[in-house]
Amino acid sequence: MTQYFSLHQGRWQLAVEGDNYQATRHIAAQCQHFIADDEDEQVDDQLRSCVNCARRRWLVGAIECTALSVRPV
Amino acid sequence: MERQQGLASWLVCIDDTDDIGTKGTGEIAEEIAFKLSAGQPSRCAFVTRHQLFVHPDIPYTSHNSAMCFQVRTPLCQAQILEIAVKHLQQECAPASDPGIALLDLQAACDHQALIDFGLAAKKEVKTKAEAYALAHSQSIHLSEHGGTGQGVIGAMAGLGLRLQGNDGRIKGQFKLPGLEAGMVELSVAEAIEQTGVDCVLTDSGEPLCFKTPLQLSGKVKAVYREHQVCLLVYQQEGVWRNALKQQLKHY
Repeated sequence: MTQYFSLHQGRWQLAVEGDNYQATRHIAAQCQHFIADDEDEQVDDQLRSCVNCARRRWLVGAIECTALSVRPV
Repeated sequence: MERQQGLASWLVCIDDTDDIGTKGTGEIAEEIAFKLSAGQPSRCAFVTRHQLFVHPDIPYTSHNSAMCFQVRTPLCQAQILEIAVKHLQQECAPASDPGIALLDLQAACDHQALIDFGLAAKKEVKTKAEAYALAHSQSIHLSEHGGTGQGVIGAMAGLGLRLQGNDGRIKGQFKLPGLEAGMVELSVAEAIEQTGVDCVLTDSGEPLCFKTPLQLSGKVKAVYREHQVCLLVYQQEGVWRNALKQQLKHY
């Protein structure tokens, strides 16, 4: 999974540009750590998407995968 | 203990109550609202979600949002806090840093100062000291209930953003007959009647007239604009449809 993310100071980050979630949908489809966040915190109509995951941490223009930051897969 | 004049209006805002896999802050806010309104929907109609600044220096878990609601109640401040704080402490996640702010809408208060703080908290890092200083200067109740208590910042900011009236999404989604089967076709007037929203607003900010036809499907949600609950729609191939989550996230 880490091939999609880049490591910044020990944190695995993925750039999210605008409303294009093709990459986050693709990654989440094969991720064993995905947990859907509260419905009101979801921003992609396709549920299984990193941007809807409770384990993502929003940054400006990017998300951090806290699951990867704990244990790389 | 009750006010002689009957019901008074309050704003309640909470933040930093959840953790991964636990009950969301919005749900806890709704539960507190239900308790304070004695189960009467007219006393508290909706909870608003307000997005705050996302920055590495801010210790939010995943999204940094605050949840706020207005409630009309005969209860005094001490009674409101007793109910709200008890529920907050029961339901918040063990690893959370909850905070709660309570504003008496009848009391003299510099609303613009609160709005300014809320707007600033959307684009810069604010501190607990700043939140407490503002609360103290305006005689607003602000308290923390576990962890670092960092949630007091978002709780204070959420009050200001709700007062401003042009920020956030309405928590939850509308249940409409036929929606589960796929798509529902309604006029704007019918959508207002069936959902209880104040208006139907295009993604460019224009209200649609009552006769305009809509096609609603999926998650039908509203945003808070001009102090109104607005069903957000966009036009696709000549048809007005309810906004996608990708569009709602900008509110």
